[in-house]
Amino acid sequence: MSDSPTDLLQGTLDLLILRALALKELHGMGISRRIAQMTNGTFEVKAGSLFPALHRMQESGWLTSFWGESETNRRAKFYQLTKVGRRQLSTETKQWERISLAIATALRTP
Amino acid sequence: MGLRHIYNFCRNALYKQRLDQDADEEIRSYIELTAEDKVRCGASREEALLQTKREIGGLEQVKENIRDVRVGASIDRLLQDIRYAFRMLGRNPGFTGVVIAILGLGIGATTAIFSVVDAVMFKPLPFPTADRLIRIQSMLIKSRRGEVASYPDFLDWRARNHAFEGMAVFRTNDFTFAGGRQAERLEGAVVSARLFSLLGVNPSLGRSFLPQDDTPQTTSGTDPVILSYGLWRRAFGSDPSVLGRTIELNRQPFTVIGVMPHEFQFPIQAEPVQLWTTIAVDARGGANAMTAQRGAHYLDVIGLLRPGVRLPQAQAELTSIASALNKEHPENKPRTVLLVPEIQSLAGPIRTPLLVLLASVGCVLLIICANVANLLLVRASRRRKEMTVRVALGASRGRAMRQLLTENIILSLLGGCLGLALAVLLIRLLLGVMPPQVPRLNDVGLDGRLFSFAFLISVASGIVFGLTPALQASRVSLTDSLRESWSSSGNEGKGHTRSRQALVIGEIAIAVVLLLGAGLLLQSFLHLTQVDPGFDPHHVLTFEIDAPPAQEGAGHERFFHDVITRISTIPEVTSISAAASLPLTGDNIASSIEIEGQPTPLGSRPAADFNAVEPGYFRALGITIMRGRDFTLHDSSNSTPVVVVNRALAQRFFPNQNPIGKHIRPGIGNGYGPGEPPMREIVGVIGDVKQSGLNAEAAPEVYAPLAQSPFSPVFIVVRTANDPRRIIDAARRQIAILDKNEPLYHIETLDEYFAQSLFVPRLVTLLLNGFAVVTLILACLGVYGVVSFITLQRTHEIGVRMALGSQRSDVLKMILAEGLRPAVIGLALGITISLKLMTALSSLLFGLRPTDPLTFGAVSVLLTGVALLASYLPAQRAANLDPMRSLRHE
Repeated sequence: MSDSPTDLLQGTLDLLILRALALKELHGMGISRRIAQMTNGTFEVKAGSLFPALHRMQESGWLTSFWGESETNRRAKFYQLTKVGRRQLSTETKQWERISLAIATALRTP
Repeated sequence: MGLRHIYNFCRNALYKQRLDQDADEEIRSYIELTAEDKVRCGASREEALLQTKREIGGLEQVKENIRDVRVGASIDRLLQDIRYAFRMLGRNPGFTGVVIAILGLGIGATTAIFSVVDAVMFKPLPFPTADRLIRIQSMLIKSRRGEVASYPDFLDWRARNHAFEGMAVFRTNDFTFAGGRQAERLEGAVVSARLFSLLGVNPSLGRSFLPQDDTPQTTSGTDPVILSYGLWRRAFGSDPSVLGRTIELNRQPFTVIGVMPHEFQFPIQAEPVQLWTTIAVDARGGANAMTAQRGAHYLDVIGLLRPGVRLPQAQAELTSIASALNKEHPENKPRTVLLVPEIQSLAGPIRTPLLVLLASVGCVLLIICANVANLLLVRASRRRKEMTVRVALGASRGRAMRQLLTENIILSLLGGCLGLALAVLLIRLLLGVMPPQVPRLNDVGLDGRLFSFAFLISVASGIVFGLTPALQASRVSLTDSLRESWSSSGNEGKGHTRSRQALVIGEIAIAVVLLLGAGLLLQSFLHLTQVDPGFDPHHVLTFEIDAPPAQEGAGHERFFHDVITRISTIPEVTSISAAASLPLTGDNIASSIEIEGQPTPLGSRPAADFNAVEPGYFRALGITIMRGRDFTLHDSSNSTPVVVVNRALAQRFFPNQNPIGKHIRPGIGNGYGPGEPPMREIVGVIGDVKQSGLNAEAAPEVYAPLAQSPFSPVFIVVRTANDPRRIIDAARRQIAILDKNEPLYHIETLDEYFAQSLFVPRLVTLLLNGFAVVTLILACLGVYGVVSFITLQRTHEIGVRMALGSQRSDVLKMILAEGLRPAVIGLALGITISLKLMTALSSLLFGLRPTDPLTFGAVSVLLTGVALLASYLPAQRAANLDPMRSLRHE
């Protein structure tokens, strides 16, 4: 039994959640399905890390939430990006691109 | 950002329950949705639900993690921990009560002693310049003790140094003040003019002394005097027109020039100083004046360091000035200078005893902490199941540990509250038994410093005693402890036993240190009380009295003689005499002496204690005359100069000779007018008297007749048939007949002086032995606890052993060894520590060395015995076990 709730870097998880919500609002299960889909199944986000992250991001004002109905007519809590969240998405995307470029370059250096 | 934080914080605090429900529902819906997904892929509904739940892991853990990310979660958790802690403590009132009580005792005692130490040693002095005030002491190069200085030395130090902004001298002096209806004796100080400006304090009324006030006024007016606020209010009704008024002190006129502020005190001492006058009073008499003699060491010197100058620099500069002075004045004994911060010098000889007490009470508190830790470990083993369940249900290990620490800190804070209340009582008790001459005791009291101290040591002890159990508990292994704690009683891991043993070893080591300290001090005290002081202190009343100033020289003696004649008419008086100094009062008169036929330059003459006495002094004090005779009324200023010496002097300077008829020349006590003091004939030898303290070696002493070496004031000593205090009134009446303006003062019995000299040793010995007994009991409980625990743990094993044929005595031995092991290790540890530590006590010890093997041996035997006794009960219980029952024990 591993103590760490996620194998993802914390920043990565936030970025993936923001990205998943960029198109439209989703409920928790939808978010984890969307992330799996976006990353071709590389990342599977479990509830244990997903929900604390969602609540934390909501406390930071990046997301808002509301209760709605799922595709199968079940009551579910939906999350939506706020203006702050969108700004956060774009800055984090830029930052990520910079870092991944830098690391890729570093790795290619003989 | 900030606003949202506050909003979130409030929402989280107010709608905690609703938020929790919300999260609950959210997760439930997530599970349903995920399961639906799986059903769609072909799983059965039950299977899908089960699988989803397994994937999520600990549901409660997830919820807990969600709660943790909320703003204010840490406060929330803390409140929850505190609530829970109170519930747990309340559930076990016996345990809680015992822990709070012993912690309260420890914290209370520590706080009480700290309050005294703080007031006497640490609280800043009440002067604006306090941190730069340095006491400057003169010191004989051979000796290691700082002493008072002479005025010419002081003048040279002041003129030549660059390290100090200024220097001043002072000495206390009694003044007879005849302003009121009756003459009264006032504690006053003779100071140099710069003193008040060094302290940064100005009179609240009138002016301070001016530099010219240090020299006697020859032409106009009188010497100036500054009054204390208290004296001004009491004797002058706070009348501002007192300035410029002439008052009579010691029958000399003084002009009041100022009044010091309320609360001002200098020098800081138990008996407050009520007036200050300048050094001019010592400067009269030309070359014979006290201030003119480089050999007259009688003044305290205080200096104000320049800002930025450090003590070692100043010390180096003054040392070199002192060695230059030694070369310039070879007729004086070579001296050097010792600088001590004023605050440190004030505490003086009480410093070491106080620090020893503080350290010992700290040790008691440590042992108490160790015992509480032990109790907590016992309880922790009972609470293992609870902890395991909490961890299994989703509490993180850190959280579980925090919970325990919270409980412990609450325990220690409750103990601290009780301790503070106890401290109030203990401080009152302590002040009652403190030596009255200790300065700054009226600063002892409840204040912010004390509260902070009590709080800090409470929290510190909470951490100290709480850490081991908390660490132990956080190491809970889920499966192991679940399995084992479901099964039966205390069958715990090795870790528990080991930490308990370590605690007991620590307890014993500390107990050994305290027992050794207490044992050494106790023996030293017993040695002190068995010292023969050389005189009989019972039934002797003493008081001081001045001669009226009109009667100079031999006139003094006539007055004292009249006093003696008058008082001897009181029926209860059996013998009476007078002396310039008394044994054990702490004010000896030192003098150089020159031996007949051994001419020695002034600077290298040997020193002796000098005393001037009336005939009958030796009889009145019960001092044995070993050879020759006492003084008689025929030894007057017209007859041959004579002395009586003590045995130490005779042995040192006249070994194997009869000293009677030989001659010596004491450097002071000249009643024959100007010029070098005369050679005096030795007419008697007396037994040694402990003049300067019971713990001092007998020093050479010279006694001259008061008639041949006038002194004033003198002590009158009156031996009575019964309680000597009963004649005080009669003595006052008799003296009033002679001169009603001469008050008697410093009225004490010799027994009281005797008791005072034992005051500090008795106090330290008593308290330290009390502490030692407490620690011994606590350490004993510790041994008992750990051995019982081990016995319980090994019940099964013992059963097996006995079933296999072990004898009861084997079991007994085995368990006794369990108790003996930590005792022996602790003993070894304690002795090792003590060998280093006890040297700190050496200045308090008399008649034995800090590594006294007898004490070390006795403590070792005592401790081993007590440890054996403490293990005997559980060992016997184990030996009497019925093997059948203990096998079924599991």
